[in-house]
Formats: sequence, C-alpha cells, structure tokens
Amino acid sequence: MDRSRLVMDLQTVNANVSRVPFFRFLNFEVQGVDSLRANTEMTFESRHIGNPVMELYHGGIIASFMEATAAIAVHPEFAEVPAKPVNLTVDYLRPATRGPLFACANVTRKGKRIASVSVMSWQTAREKPVAEGLYHFLLV
Amino acid sequence: MAEVTKQEMAQIARLWNARGKGLITHMALDIEDVSRDGVRVRMPFNPDFCIDEDQTLLHGGILTALLDSVFGLANFVAIEGISTMATLDLRVDYLRAARSRADVIVRAHCFRQTRHIAFNAGSIWFDGHEEAEIARGTASFALTRGETGLFGAMTEGDAS
Repeated sequence: MDRSRLVMDLQTVNANVSRVPFFRFLNFEVQGVDSLRANTEMTFESRHIGNPVMELYHGGIIASFMEATAAIAVHPEFAEVPAKPVNLTVDYLRPATRGPLFACANVTRKGKRIASVSVMSWQTAREKPVAEGLYHFLLV
Repeated sequence: MAEVTKQEMAQIARLWNARGKGLITHMALDIEDVSRDGVRVRMPFNPDFCIDEDQTLLHGGILTALLDSVFGLANFVAIEGISTMATLDLRVDYLRAARSRADVIVRAHCFRQTRHIAFNAGSIWFDGHEEAEIARGTASFALTRGETGLFGAMTEGDAS
C-alpha cells in the first residue's frame, strides 16, 4: 500500500482544488480524504441557483459538485487537471435549498484503466440525501 | 401540433435571459432556435468553467448543467399546462475532451411525454464542429400539471 495516500495532506489537496477555475466557481472545500474516499462541503452562492423563485440549487451544479468530489476521491493529488470523467448518472432525490451542500464520494472499484465512484450529497442530514450519483473515470 | 409563435418565442427568450440571478444568467445562454420539436441554445466560452490554468478545457459538469437547463426549456416549450417540473435523473456521456475556446452549442428535445413524466435527449458540440460531439445526455423529469401552465403563468402580465 502506498503510505503517502494514507496521510494525505488536506492543505495540499485544497491548494490543488483552488487552482482549478471551475472548482473556484463551485466554491467548495475538501474536508477529508483518504485512498478511497473524499468528503467535501460547498458554500451556497447565488450563481448556483437553478430556480430563482424558490432559491434552489441548479441540478447541474449538484451534479458538477458531485463530479468534482468523485474526481478528488479517485485522484486527490492531481497535478494539472482532475481525474478524467467518462460518464455519469445522477438520481435527484430532494430539492437543495439555500445553505451548504455536502458530498461524500466512495471509490467502489479502481482498476488499471477505469474507476467507478459512488457519490452521495445531502444538506441537513445524511439520511436525507439530495442526490446520488455514479461516475466513471478513465485512469490512463 | 401548434408551432411556437414569434411573439411566444420572444417572450421565452426574454424570460430566459432576464432571470436576474442564478446559473442560467451566468452561463449567458442565447436561444438560437425554439420549437415544440426541440431547442438549440448557444453558451459563450467562459474561463470560469474550465479546469486547467490555461483555461481551454471545459469541466464536464458545466456540460451536464447545460443539458439539464436546456431540457427544462425544451419541456417548457413542448408540453402544455406544466406548473412545475423536477429533474428525476440525468445520464451524460463525455464523448471527447472539451478543449476549445469556441462557443458551445446544445440541441435538446422532449422525445416522449406522459401525464407525469417527460423524457429528454440532447447533444453538445463546439460551434462549427457538429460532427465532433463532446457530450450527449438523456434525462427524465417529473411534471406537475396545473390549471395555469408554467408558460401562461410566467408570461401573464408580460404584455403590460
């Protein structure tokens, strides 16, 4: 086992994240990361709104945030660009309202070429998920 | 099936572009074509949506967000009497690296509607490169039908 992956430096991961323009647009922070998992928190911004009347998050922002979290779980210490996504499926379970949004990504399988990642996103309680997603990444 | 009138089209474009806040405003979308058979929308290049420091490679997530938005527009135009709609699920394939500073073009349509559900499909490419799609997606939406359709409610009083 690669020991460096076990003592991932959160500051380094967040410094990498802050170099990605679109990750700055999303405005999230990595709160925890290990070799198979990443936990993130996104701050609500008016540019995230999909429904201006109800002030709900745009579904595409939720999917983007989950994709970013999944990419970090797959490759936390990326140098230039985050892990390369192939495709995704997102199931929207509840509307997400003004306030922080959390995500947890789990790498279900990491092979030589492909990684499968399952992501969950919630606001007030993990038992009340906002969305669930499955993402594939190409590792080569 | 009735075509969308010029006047309705102008109203849709105004509503779409004058939302004041939110992601759609930030994406600066421009409706190029709209009918009950489908819509075509342009998204100008925006460096905020890139993942590289040189800012030439778009993040997949913004393409997913673009599909989700434009599916909503396609349903809004194609289905009469919708009062609300919510994305149920979304599936997107990233067909090639989205590396360009060209505008992004998306075409989407509703290929089946029932009383409760709408089914959508769409494609994305860089302007001038329709043969080289960068993403393709499908989605389903849960519809709530009301006495006043979304279109009617949103355009009411628009004439004043």
